[in-house]
Amino acid sequence: MAPEVATPLHSKRVQAWVYAIMNPLIESLGREIRLLGEGNLSWRSYSKRCEYIRPIREYIESSQLPNYEDFLADNLNRGFKERFERHDHQVSEVESTANRSFIGLTDSNEFQKQVKDSLEEYESTARGKPQYPNLSSIGENLPKVVAELLVNRTDLLPSHYMMHKFWQDYRARFEHHRQPPSFQELDVATATLQDSSKNLVSDLEKHRRLLCVTYDIPAAPITIEKSFSADAYLV
Amino acid sequence: MPTSFEGSSRCELLILDTGPIRELVGFHAVDRFGFERLRSDLCFISNPESYRMCTQFVASFRRKTTSASVVAELYRWIRETDPKGQAKLWNRVYEDFQNMGMDEEVVRLVEMDLGLVVTFGPVDVSLLELARRHADHNPVLLTIDSKLYGECKKAGLHVSHLQEVTLMQR
Repeated sequence: MAPEVATPLHSKRVQAWVYAIMNPLIESLGREIRLLGEGNLSWRSYSKRCEYIRPIREYIESSQLPNYEDFLADNLNRGFKERFERHDHQVSEVESTANRSFIGLTDSNEFQKQVKDSLEEYESTARGKPQYPNLSSIGENLPKVVAELLVNRTDLLPSHYMMHKFWQDYRARFEHHRQPPSFQELDVATATLQDSSKNLVSDLEKHRRLLCVTYDIPAAPITIEKSFSADAYLV
Repeated sequence: MPTSFEGSSRCELLILDTGPIRELVGFHAVDRFGFERLRSDLCFISNPESYRMCTQFVASFRRKTTSASVVAELYRWIRETDPKGQAKLWNRVYEDFQNMGMDEEVVRLVEMDLGLVVTFGPVDVSLLELARRHADHNPVLLTIDSKLYGECKKAGLHVSHLQEVTLMQR
């Protein structure tokens, strides 16, 4: 009699968690960690949000949200719901601290004056120098633009952006405005989110490995070219 | 160090076709914001050096413009990308247009030459019409479309292919 061979478990539900929830999250959180490491929060004053650092749910494609709810509800994935909530709270903390830093800057008379003086100097230098774009279209919004660049720790802008030359010449003058406590709080909030996202990615990767081994699921969908598959040789 | 584009003279008007906008936005999204999946869409701006060459070329023009038809073509590109990233990609297009001070002009279909529309399609013809409309400003058209490039050359219009721009020497 042939020995009994244990058949590996298979589960379409688990496969959906791996492909539609865990893989996109690992990818998006990886990008988030990179941006946070560079201090590039992608924070925008018009939305008061970080454009590319988002709550966990927003990293999931909307058609896959039922699988997301299923992932959170199942005991196999215990602990992740609380981890995701903590992540989202930390994102919100970064956004509100960024907003406070931004408001602190744009409300400061000293900052406003420095922007105004720098613009006057820029315009005077720009006379007769075609490589200095005219910034009149930015006009009164310049303090907001500069404050946003400081919040996002922007070092250099691409050469074809209107603000490129201004920022190249005057960025160093504005650096000391990153000293106030609100900016220190922002740095702390950023570092906290980055650490927590790193741990979350690591735990998601471990959990994915466990599920893949237990349920005999490839970690990513595999597509085999028809011509290279065994089917091509079957008549 | 000043490059060949940052000399004393600055050209007046650059007209951008869809391809160069797609490459500029795409590379920035990959390099600065980590949208790695867009990397395979990039044909001419594939590394920081080619991006630098292209942005300096674009920066050497006082004004940049494109046609509304090009924006429609950008939509066609974006809707074929990963649905999850489409909003982010539109966000990149908005921010790049805003940051480079891009103008956008409408060229009505009925203003276009029917024969040219049949041969080149309305997007290319809208760009040719913009070049004609702004002839006083000595415009340069930037494209990756060899057919449009050849037609511009034949018509005596100033045209640059993105490949030429990214291969230019410092």
